[in-house]
Amino acid sequence: MSLEKKLRNIGISAHIDSGKTTLSERILFYCNKIHAIHEVRGKDGVGATMDSMELERERGITIASAATNVDWNGTPINLIDTPGHVDFTVEVERSLRVLDGAILVLCSVGGVQSQSITVDRQLKRYNVPRLAFINKCDRTGANPYRVKDQLIDKLGLNAVLTQIPIGLEDKHVGVVDLVKMKAAYFEGNDGLEVVERDIPAELKQEAEKMREVLLEAISMLSDELAELFLEGKEIPEELVCSVIRKGVLSREVVPVFMGSAYKNKGVQLLLDAVVKYLPSPIDVDNFALDLDDNEKEVVLKSDPTLPPVVLAFKLEDGQYGQLTYIRIYQGSIKKGDELYNIRTRRKFKVGRLIKMHSNNMEDISDAGCGDIVALFGIDCASGDTFVKPGLNLSLTSMYVPDPVISLAVEPVDKKAADNMSKALNRFTKEDPTFRSYVDDESNQTIIQGMGELHLDVYVERMKREYKAEVKTGAPQVAYRETISKKADFDYTHKKQSGGAGQYGKIVGFMDPLAEGTYEFVNEIKGGKIPTEYIPACDKGFQAAIKKGTLIGFPIVGVKVTINDGQSHSVDSSDMAFQQAAIGAFRQAYAKAGPEILEPVMKVAVDGPTEFQGSIFGSINQRRGMIVSSVEDGKNSHVEAEVPLSEMFGYSTVLRSLTQGKAEFTMEFLKYGRVPKNVSEELMKTFQEKK
Amino acid sequence: MVKEELVKRSPLRTLEKVLDGGLGKGNIGVIASKKGIGKTAFLVHIATDKLCSDNPVIHVSFSKRTDHIISWYDDIFNEISKTKNLENAIDIYEEIIRKRVIMNFNQQDIDVPRILSSLEAMITSGNFKAGTVIIDGLKIDEAGEKGLKAIKEFAKKLNLEIWISASLKIDDPVFSEKGIPYELENVLDCIDVLLTLQYDNQKIRMDIVKDQDGIGVVNSQLSLDPKTLLIDEG
Repeated sequence: MSLEKKLRNIGISAHIDSGKTTLSERILFYCNKIHAIHEVRGKDGVGATMDSMELERERGITIASAATNVDWNGTPINLIDTPGHVDFTVEVERSLRVLDGAILVLCSVGGVQSQSITVDRQLKRYNVPRLAFINKCDRTGANPYRVKDQLIDKLGLNAVLTQIPIGLEDKHVGVVDLVKMKAAYFEGNDGLEVVERDIPAELKQEAEKMREVLLEAISMLSDELAELFLEGKEIPEELVCSVIRKGVLSREVVPVFMGSAYKNKGVQLLLDAVVKYLPSPIDVDNFALDLDDNEKEVVLKSDPTLPPVVLAFKLEDGQYGQLTYIRIYQGSIKKGDELYNIRTRRKFKVGRLIKMHSNNMEDISDAGCGDIVALFGIDCASGDTFVKPGLNLSLTSMYVPDPVISLAVEPVDKKAADNMSKALNRFTKEDPTFRSYVDDESNQTIIQGMGELHLDVYVERMKREYKAEVKTGAPQVAYRETISKKADFDYTHKKQSGGAGQYGKIVGFMDPLAEGTYEFVNEIKGGKIPTEYIPACDKGFQAAIKKGTLIGFPIVGVKVTINDGQSHSVDSSDMAFQQAAIGAFRQAYAKAGPEILEPVMKVAVDGPTEFQGSIFGSINQRRGMIVSSVEDGKNSHVEAEVPLSEMFGYSTVLRSLTQGKAEFTMEFLKYGRVPKNVSEELMKTFQEKK
Repeated sequence: MVKEELVKRSPLRTLEKVLDGGLGKGNIGVIASKKGIGKTAFLVHIATDKLCSDNPVIHVSFSKRTDHIISWYDDIFNEISKTKNLENAIDIYEEIIRKRVIMNFNQQDIDVPRILSSLEAMITSGNFKAGTVIIDGLKIDEAGEKGLKAIKEFAKKLNLEIWISASLKIDDPVFSEKGIPYELENVLDCIDVLLTLQYDNQKIRMDIVKDQDGIGVVNSQLSLDPKTLLIDEG
């Protein structure tokens, strides 16, 4: 079998704290790549191998995604560790782009939590086939059956149990495999020996019942299996496996596995399932955009002999310089090959090719189709496409939301300033949702991102990795301005006293645009404004929307139409019409019912029902609107829409309100109108600053 | 048509007339029928009408997912705005749903005190000024007289109008000679207004079985359109 047929590129997606990093660690361990198991927050202070950054170790969360190559019984697996927190979803999404399959990890106690929903939505967006692993079956209150039901109810997945637990909580010792109809126990040091035995008598009936459920669920995918099932005949194991695989690839079935990574239960069977059920690069269709043909989608073939098409999906600053993680979508590459970066239009040579195992690396001479490897010393940004010179293909541009929050950062001294600019340069290349610029007026460096924690982490990284000590200002929400009604303009820009004259007259109107930022419509007839000046008008309007007059934020949702005007044979110029457009815009803007918009976040709070009142109250105090509350046993899940500006410090408030028992996630939802009293306050502050 | 007119011309005004001013604060109204006739549509229509006249509503449900309930509101509002030719329908909808909160209970053995304590948390701690509460899918047989009495007290205490749906499960005959659903006979004292829905000649007829004037079937002069499930006059 060729390499690409056997290869698995998989990711592990999960809610924070469902044991994802521990599971990754166990996978690495069982694949014989590491020789001792370290706990995430281990006593030995070493920390899990995949959490390479010191900061991640301290917080016990995984921020950056590292790709690690392992080998499971002859099948090479590239394991991409995806970050779990919602503030870093772009990192998650970028990793998902290069996956062929995923393991969705769930906690057997917590079940499908808000983050699992977000992560699953992302898997759906990228059509990633998945297996589910119900972890922490050793914990008090473990109930994998309930979690399976939640996968169906809350995520709408066709989840079927392929295993049932042998004992739960502290009695959890193994699982019954419903495909083989055998019990599996994990014995010896670190559960290294998988021992297969007959199903214990007390579980026999339950196992029979659940196997029926499994077979019934997958019987719709295969006539052969359905027939055998209906006739009550024996169904061969290979047939069951092949039908499950078919269902996974078409994303019609999500087989559910279980165990406890921490207690070394079930991990090896999960690895077997990765090999059996998840796709190889060949099983998945990938597309590129043909830049010569209006960005038409073309299918890429996993054929090593074709010219290479490669995606740089992750940059990392290693000990020895910049490391670029790439996935090869088509063709193969070897040391010394020449590649072409589509974005920068520059050629470069492939120097060192590396296979990564977290912090250790292995030099290789070539890499085949579908593989994930790393390159040294390539100057590029994440998301860049590399091809064989001559091709003009680009891999789909990834969905990148606009930042919603900004923060002023000020280095404490000259050295810090140098280091900070190095750090910012690196971060903006690594993370497309993180941006930075220098504000013209205040001369401050502003960083922008997707949430408070997102920016916090980068400020921390500046200090730790780049020794850039910085002071930060108060976080600033990215407001927008817009108009609410139509308004006419009729503006003449005239300067005809001494020197070269300026003259331009523009007539037209602006009205609200439902979608988009800005649109320009030219309805001038009979050359009232000569054609050569029309682009200047457009440019003038575009300059005007950069800063609104209410609070100085960009204006969105405006359509400007010009239908009349006047020019002067000598005094008219591009400059004059640009000025006229700016004047015309300001004239109409004041009459067009200008309003301030603010980012509104979708907030989900999970906590024990006893704290429901406090949760409701905390949302209400933040100008939030509760959309729904769902009670499910002892837990309450509240969904609300809350303006971002009111969410600062919410995690601390929520923690103290609920004795640390509630948690929340948030993501950007939409821009919404700011209520009158608040917008008056904002305008007052803006005027005072001026 | 604009929003104010929509409220003024709603067929629910007819119901209010027959009921001498509507259900009224501190009272419980029950809509009873067999499964799948249109109780939820009726309750969502009532809620939508309240929302359009700026009265916040809490919708209590017992389903697995809340998006089903949200789509009920979407559908009923779409139908209303289509048939009444409502102007700025999207803006109005955006505005009115801000006054609606859905509270879903999907644990298996939920009881009335638990529901009421969550409602109270929403209204007092959450500072949600609800005037109307819709409880769709309460198991009235399990709640019993005690449960309904507790709901009634709650309605009085917090000055709420509470509408509850009752799904009639027994086989025919469902209604007694007086038109009272057999299943509700022993809790009738705790109900202020009882409406029933049943198929009648291609229409879904709505009867008033009990109101402030006492027990006795009165034609409500309203029906549900079997296609759209909207309330209709006649």
